[in-house]
Amino acid sequence: MRSLLTATFLLTAAPALAGVNDVIRDHALPGTARFASATAALDAAAQANCTDTALRPAYQEAFDAWMGIAHLTLGPLEEDGRGLAIAFWPDTRGMVGRSVARLVAEEDPIATSGEYAEVSIAARGLFALERLLYDEDFAGYGAESYSCALAQAMAADLAVLGREVDTAWREDFATTLSSAGEAGNSRFLSPREASQALYTALATGLEFVADQRLGRPMGSFDAPKPQVAEARRSGRSLRNVVLSLEALRDFARTLSDQPTPETDAAFDRALTAARGLEDPIFAGVADPISRIRVEALQNDVRAISEAVGTEIAPALGVSVGFNSADGD
Amino acid sequence: MRLKATTAIALITFAAAPAFAQDKAEVLGTYADIAQAGYEDSLTTAQTLQAAVETLIATPSAEALQAAKAAWLAARVPYQQTEVFRFGNAIVDDWEGKVNAWPLDEGLIDYVDASYGGETDENQLAVLNVIANPSFTLGGEEVDATEITPALLEGQLHEAGAVEANVATGYHAIEFLLWGQDLNGTEHGAGNRPWTDYAAGDDCTGDNCDRRGQYLKAATDLLVSDLEWMASQWAEGGEARAAVLADEDAGIDAILTGMGSLSYGEQAGERMKLGVMLNDPEEEHDCFSDNTHNSHYYDGLGVRNVYLGEYLRVDGRVVSGASLSDLVASADASVDEDLRAKLNASMVELGQIKTAAEAGFSYDMMLERGNAEGEALIMGAVDALVGQTRAIERAVTALGGDEIAFEGSDSLDAPEAVFQ
Repeated sequence: MRSLLTATFLLTAAPALAGVNDVIRDHALPGTARFASATAALDAAAQANCTDTALRPAYQEAFDAWMGIAHLTLGPLEEDGRGLAIAFWPDTRGMVGRSVARLVAEEDPIATSGEYAEVSIAARGLFALERLLYDEDFAGYGAESYSCALAQAMAADLAVLGREVDTAWREDFATTLSSAGEAGNSRFLSPREASQALYTALATGLEFVADQRLGRPMGSFDAPKPQVAEARRSGRSLRNVVLSLEALRDFARTLSDQPTPETDAAFDRALTAARGLEDPIFAGVADPISRIRVEALQNDVRAISEAVGTEIAPALGVSVGFNSADGD
Repeated sequence: MRLKATTAIALITFAAAPAFAQDKAEVLGTYADIAQAGYEDSLTTAQTLQAAVETLIATPSAEALQAAKAAWLAARVPYQQTEVFRFGNAIVDDWEGKVNAWPLDEGLIDYVDASYGGETDENQLAVLNVIANPSFTLGGEEVDATEITPALLEGQLHEAGAVEANVATGYHAIEFLLWGQDLNGTEHGAGNRPWTDYAAGDDCTGDNCDRRGQYLKAATDLLVSDLEWMASQWAEGGEARAAVLADEDAGIDAILTGMGSLSYGEQAGERMKLGVMLNDPEEEHDCFSDNTHNSHYYDGLGVRNVYLGEYLRVDGRVVSGASLSDLVASADASVDEDLRAKLNASMVELGQIKTAAEAGFSYDMMLERGNAEGEALIMGAVDALVGQTRAIERAVTALGGDEIAFEGSDSLDAPEAVFQ
């Protein structure tokens, strides 16, 4: 017993809070500020002209900004399910298409009620708006149509979410993290718990790229599923992989307070592979030859996971905690 | 319903004293005993269901259908308490998709309402309707479904096209065949399949009553044989018991992984929070029968059972012994006290959902868009489960420092083998 407790004490005594403060200042807050401003710009664009072609550039900018923070699944994005409301994907039961179609068919007055946040998350956020702007079933609507008003409602809702996430990080969660272990902090009972929560987000974010963004369209060799690639309608599937890897690299660098040569090299390999892929919506997974390159990229991303596990986690004295991707 | 968790927490004991090792063996013994009793209870209650189904098919009547439904509901009580064994025990996780897969695209199995829709991006077989079609093509090959047999369900239909929503077997397929689709939306009310869907001759409604009966029998027989197999894996000499007892640290790790993964990602996240945010009654775990409140309640109870080392069997007997709680308490009493308090708090919150549902405020009503009371009830339980998960993480830390087992694979086959 005694030896067990001693070992625990030695592990938890590692100073870990430096990385936490760096993450807050240099990674999280700049990311949430950018997402807030990009969604505010999307809202402004929609109020000026809500047709699909007019909105697409601001939509792409907002999605780019989302990739900078999507992996920060703890705190403000978890609270009130904001992360799911911003980006409900994967959508294994085809809820997004069905929910948007129902609103449009019924011309549900919720779109102009000012209470759009009440609707199902399948009809909110970036993926619902993607249907209106890019899916041939919806796009091409007129400036006076219900769909146009619906696009405005979705954009306004995203702007509210962007502002809430930024404010909650800036005014609340940043302090919760940086005061880990202090009296009165019931969320993080020690600095190590804050480091562990961030490290879990890093590990989970890498898994999400490998298993979901790449793994879902890959399906199996006999049953590839290019049709379920993330944001394929807006042509962003590969772009999301590249941007999320860049964001995760930035996250890893700020979290670690020591040099991480193996992790850096693993990120470089994966990013080089991703940028060279020339398969924007992973249509190639159905072709045995081009599929190999997507598979190789998936292996490169898994190699990053291994590198952070051997290099960053021990230096921080943490392990992977439970994450929301555990389970089905 | 396959496990996609690719992380696990592996405990590395640095220098455990011999007495401590003895405790761990006893704790693991209790854990395996509870698993064995839970699967045995699941088996006997499924056999009762099997008998009720045979009566329904032989002599269809409203009473016979009702008796089968009652048997299904009773069978869920012990089974849900075993869900805590899924995560962390590869042998359970690899198997459980056969018996408890959810959610399902029920149009694969039988007739559905027009509002159900057709094929989706994700599932080209969403409206296959095997009961109405004695032959069809699957992945380019002609399938002979003249006889609906356990082999057909298990071998060809289940997860057809590698789509997880193609659930052809298990509790929820049977649930659909007994209750039918719940077409009440977020209004009160469960599925309302008429008993005449199993009637002979001209009384038959919904067409193909004989094939529907064949399907129901095949699925129920399969459930019984699958549960029989799993119960034997946990008995003395069984593979699941041996795996847990083989390595004490990995065994303790399996208990904690199961508790944390079920509490957080699975129950709080996937099953409860997502449902309330989608406002979708189909997101109920037991959506045809409106039994979701019990499903959640007994999942929570299962987590508490394995921590406290105590399980109340369906016949009233109690299985108990040395517990993980004892082990954690001897490492850090305050961590144990906190975790026990959090487990109890979750049971109170889950109990409130159950109480409200049984009094008429059913789970699908709680999911309605803008229903603040329902959302508060469900989110109260979600928050309690999230709090419970943090306490479980603290128990992991208290039990002896930790090392990461971060797997790059899709299973929990050998978390202890990574990074050692």
